[in-house]
Amino acid sequence: MDCVVDTISQVGVETCYHCGEALPASPVLSDVEGSVKGFCCDGCLAAAQWIRSSDLGDYYRLRSAAGARVDVELPDLAAWDRDDVLADHAFPVTGGLEITLLTDGMRCAACAWLIDRALGRVDGVLEAGANAVTGRIRVAWDPARVALSSVLQRLASLGYRPYLASGAAQEREKLAERRRWLLRLGIAGLGAMQTMMLSEALYLDFNHHMALYTRDFFRWVTFLVCTPVVFYSGWPFLMGAWREWRERHPGMDTLVAGSTLLAYLASAVETVRGGAHVWYDAAAMFVFLLLCARMLEQRARRIASSQVDALARARPALAVRERNDGTRESVPLTALQIGDVACMAAGEAVPADGVLLDEQAMFEEALLTGESHPVAKARGTEVFAGTICRETPARIEITRLGSATRLSQLTRLVEQAQAHRPPLARAADRVGTWFVVALLLASIAVFVGWRIHDPSRAFEVTLSLLVISCPCALSLAVPAALAATHGALARLGVLSLRADGLDGLARATDVVFDKTGTLTRIDPAVGEVRTFGDRSADDVLAIAAALERDSGHPIAAAFTSVLTLRTASGLKVNAGQGLSGRVDGVEWRLGRGPFAANQHDDGRLWLGDGTSAVACFTLEERMRTDARAAVNALRGLGLRIHLASGDASAAVERLARQLKVDDAHARQSSEDKLALVRELQAQGRVVAMVGDGLNDAPVLAGADVSLAMGEGASLAQRAADMVLTAPSLLRIPAAVQLARRTQRIIRQNVAWAIGYNLLALPLAIAGQVTPSLAALGMALSSLIVTANALRLMRVSVPESSS
Amino acid sequence: MIILLMLIPLSLMLLAVAIGSFVWAVRKGQFDDMDTPAIDILRDDRPREAKAGCTMEERRHG
Repeated sequence: MDCVVDTISQVGVETCYHCGEALPASPVLSDVEGSVKGFCCDGCLAAAQWIRSSDLGDYYRLRSAAGARVDVELPDLAAWDRDDVLADHAFPVTGGLEITLLTDGMRCAACAWLIDRALGRVDGVLEAGANAVTGRIRVAWDPARVALSSVLQRLASLGYRPYLASGAAQEREKLAERRRWLLRLGIAGLGAMQTMMLSEALYLDFNHHMALYTRDFFRWVTFLVCTPVVFYSGWPFLMGAWREWRERHPGMDTLVAGSTLLAYLASAVETVRGGAHVWYDAAAMFVFLLLCARMLEQRARRIASSQVDALARARPALAVRERNDGTRESVPLTALQIGDVACMAAGEAVPADGVLLDEQAMFEEALLTGESHPVAKARGTEVFAGTICRETPARIEITRLGSATRLSQLTRLVEQAQAHRPPLARAADRVGTWFVVALLLASIAVFVGWRIHDPSRAFEVTLSLLVISCPCALSLAVPAALAATHGALARLGVLSLRADGLDGLARATDVVFDKTGTLTRIDPAVGEVRTFGDRSADDVLAIAAALERDSGHPIAAAFTSVLTLRTASGLKVNAGQGLSGRVDGVEWRLGRGPFAANQHDDGRLWLGDGTSAVACFTLEERMRTDARAAVNALRGLGLRIHLASGDASAAVERLARQLKVDDAHARQSSEDKLALVRELQAQGRVVAMVGDGLNDAPVLAGADVSLAMGEGASLAQRAADMVLTAPSLLRIPAAVQLARRTQRIIRQNVAWAIGYNLLALPLAIAGQVTPSLAALGMALSSLIVTANALRLMRVSVPESSS
Repeated sequence: MIILLMLIPLSLMLLAVAIGSFVWAVRKGQFDDMDTPAIDILRDDRPREAKAGCTMEERRHG
């Protein structure tokens, strides 16, 4: 949530007041609170005016990231009112219906604040709740008073485009599950506190002054308080143990459930027969602390994955189908059938795989390939679901639907790659199992031994052994450190999606960079400029910039840094070719060689009048400004840097030279990259992979630890162990440092906890540990471990230069 | 020690109240979003619109 505050302060006169995008040559100017502000389009102006007039202007003060650009032409939302859509996605609440939506423009808490209020003011809306963390909006409305489309119209007019969240039932189930966990934790916390308080009273009665009936009264009360903690809060552990037992694969849950149940049941027995000791506090504290650890881990994962996940699954809510007579209707995605003709407007996502029916169209396949430039397709070529139609509308004949689409297949592939996780995780599993089995065997041996030696104390000693073998310190050692690190990582702008990612990052010896999009920026930049004729380089640049500025063309970004007062008129975009327009009364063409200047198509951008060339531009991808510093910092940490890119060797070599990377590989396919990683791993190196496209997903899953850039394809992020949310590569060395420090602290913690155990276990086996001593030792050692872990929270965020 | 017979049930009652209010808070979704409500209070309520803002809050949250 710590979005970049700087973006706003940098926003001076030249960017849109509302969305922060660069202003066009003729911005819309308007008076805002006494000063003139520029807007990029009428959409943004209308949004800002509405926000002002509704007295919600504080949005601009509260926000920490610029808003989303508002399209002048609002999307057609009438389809949202259809009964079949509502039947699938909305559910009845008192007084109306409720629906959960996804949106992509929500960038910080202020957006959620604005949406809450904006929707709340629409007459007929019963309740509106936006969550900036998950990107979801919950709207309850009264269909008799207002149509859903007009509610969403308000949303869209502020720049937040609604998408359907997949399956309302699934969403609700997830929320219910989360609330259940929270309830478990809360009840465990309150119950454990009370149990501890009552038990302390019993422990502190060193010389047995307490009357027997008072003692028993305390015990019964503790029993009452402890029962819900063990059976309600501890239910996941009990179920986990039961599952592990059925699979004949004892793990942590067996140990947890075993010692909790044993402590609880033994205490209950002791309470009934008035025995010497009860251990309710051990059972309750144990459940509570372990629940804490699991909640922290889940929370970190949820925040990281929910947004990524949601957008990866966000499909258009509806598709436009062309009937046989040529008329069009919009239908829900589920109503589409193979052989139907679907139509997409420019900027819309393709609903299903199909074959292109038009002469030519452009599709942006970033989600599938990570390639950010739109790809031109000709009639008869395949078009994939999830790609975005650019520049011109297109029609496709559907060939594959739903789970048969390429997108779904790739998603499954990534999931399979994930299932095949590193051997270290499996080894840890095995060791854990052995530890549990060994401990259970040891307990039985101790029990038998004491049974022979002193039958009256056998049970108590065995239990104290079991409790001490799972003391708070040991169970806290790793989770406390991990929780502290996840917090620190999140502040760094690195989200850890999987628990073993940190471990891999700490041990990494090699870093493999994927060039596209990771070391370079996604937007291109103008490199070399060549002119043929008497115009100067600045002059032709200005003409090109004027042509590109309002085109919405992907390469337009290359020219945004060129300042010019010229404007283009009569702009026409020729899909896949380039654009034409008038600047200063001269007709220009800018684009591919054959189209613009009657030259060969050599990948360069030509400016001309269609027959002769005036200039040509070499476009290159810009290196991220902090790439060099990041690479140097990584080298300083003793890591070897590799480059593996799918690009041509000239570009890769240039980049390798700039960054002084020796080991650079060009023209690498996804398999080649994976082979490189495997080869390094075979040499005993631990590989960290930094990538972004979905074609990297198998490599990301195959590396020991993988990081994905937050602005890359969302499916690649699901395959990665960590996602960089801040667009700064310097976060990588910082994360490596933090991971190493975490490793050190975990080692210290475990050493301390094990040392404590080694000291306490023999004493427990010998029957020498008195409850008061154990309570003191337990509290002290937990405190030390936690305090040590909290040192990880101190982290300095590296300055971002990009 | 007879006072314990009153104090302990009293503490149990407090515990029940605490658990009850926690359950209520979770069910009402008070913990669903920990970030957005934090900035709600940052807004200066101008006297003119204070009333309108209040009624809206009451209607939506209360």
